[in-house]
Order: sequence, then structure tokens, then C-alpha cells
Amino acid sequence: MKKLATTSILLTIALLAVTSYLALEVAPTEATMGDVQRIFYYHVPSAWVAGLCFFVNFLASIWYLWKRSAASDALAAASAEVGVVFCSVVLLTGPIWARPVWGIWWTWDARLTTTLVLWLIYVSYLVLRRFAVEGQTQVLAAALAVFGFADVPIVYMSIRWFRTQHPSPVMGGGANSGLAPAMLHVFLINLAIFTVLGLVFLGLRYKLQMSQNALESAHAQAALKGVA
Amino acid sequence: MSSIGFLKLAYVVAWLAYLGYLARILLGMKKVQEERQELDRTMAANGAAPAALKRSAG
Repeated sequence: MKKLATTSILLTIALLAVTSYLALEVAPTEATMGDVQRIFYYHVPSAWVAGLCFFVNFLASIWYLWKRSAASDALAAASAEVGVVFCSVVLLTGPIWARPVWGIWWTWDARLTTTLVLWLIYVSYLVLRRFAVEGQTQVLAAALAVFGFADVPIVYMSIRWFRTQHPSPVMGGGANSGLAPAMLHVFLINLAIFTVLGLVFLGLRYKLQMSQNALESAHAQAALKGVA
Repeated sequence: MSSIGFLKLAYVVAWLAYLGYLARILLGMKKVQEERQELDRTMAANGAAPAALKRSAG
């Protein structure tokens, strides 16, 4: 346990340090916004990992509804929580970027609103898992996850479907989209590193969920025997 | 606040969120491990096979 804790702490610090160094020192300064644009190198990769985690949650929930597998339920719970953490960083870093660039912290445009709704859906998923009546939790959570995932493509497409204050897509957004090569390299490396960070958190959280499930069954068995 | 101030704030917030979450997971693991050991001790004291032994036997 001590070795796992030390390794994961050092790995997380190393990954965050590399991404910060690349974003703050290596990436060129953007001509219009200046240095504050560098928030982009944390904001977008965090959004990517959140979306990835919600996709894993969606697949694991379908698998649970089909097979009633305890492992897939644990994966669904873990991925939703990790996704909420990354989505929270998106919702925090976005307004910090918006204040100096737009002059306001928040506006109810399609991208921001759908992202906030997405965060609320998965926070309610976690609340449901915590407070639902024993025995119904997994099925209710899986059903919510399947419907809740519908917001992910809406968030992704919102800046394509609607005229928004949020910047247009920098990748796959048509003829006027794209990044300068030096910015693109940093962005892609940060995207890869954040994906690794997300997978590390997901692996640890899954392990914790499985241990909690094993402990609960051990307590139940002990209670049946009148031991604990 | 200057542009650099907002940039620093965003990175500090992100670092705190990720390291704080990692700490939460690791503390959760430690708590589960301690509860498991406590349960095994209680079971052993009451003459039942500890859960950990049962797992390995199974």
C-alpha cells in the first residue's frame, strides 16, 4: 500500500509537472490573448479525459445491465467519479480564462450550459449511488448513466450547432480551425499525458471500489455468522 | 488581477484538484485496508476463519 501510494503520488506530480512545463515554457505565446491562452493546454485535455471517462461509464453501465457483472459496476462507479473530477477542472479553468478574455466569468451559452448540465448529471449519478435503497443502486445508476451519456455528444457538438461565445473548435472545425505546429505539438503531448493521468486515477479508483465491495461482503458474511 | 495571475490561478486550481483527488483515493484505500484488518482480527478472536484466509483458501 505504501509503495503504491508513493508511486502514484510521484507519477501524478511528474505528469503534472511535465504538462505545466510544456504549456508554460515550451508552447509559444498566443498573439491575441497572450499568456492566459496557456490555460487551454489544461482545459481541453481535462475535457477530453472527462468525456473518455463518461464513455467508459456508459459502456460499463450497458455491460452491467446486460451481464449484472460486479466488476463492470465498479468500473462504472470509478469512471463516473474520475470524470466528474476532470469535468470540475474544466468548469473551473474555463471561467478563469474567460474573466480576462471576455470580461465575465460565465455566460449561459450552449457549450458552457451543456457542460454544466453534464457535470450535474454525473454528480447526481454519484449521489444516487450513495443514497439509493440497497439492492436497487446498481440498476438505477446504470440506467441513469445510459441516458446521461446522451449529453456528451451534445456538449461536443454544441459549438458546431450553435453560435456561441465559447471559441470555435480548434480541431476538426473546418477550414478556419487549427493550431500553429508548435502549439499543436504541446497540445497533443498534453492530451496524451492527461489520458495517462486519467487512466492512473481510473485504475486506482477501480481498485478502491473493488476493495470496498469485498469489505462489504466480508462484513455481511460476518454479520450472518454473528461474529461482527 | 493580471493575465499572468489568472494563468497561475488556473494551474494552481488544477494541481490542487488532481492531487487532492489522488489523496482522497489513497486515504480511502488505507481506510478499507484498516477496516479489513480489524474485521479479520474480530473474526479470529471469535473463532471464525479470517476473511483474508478464507479468500486465499477459496
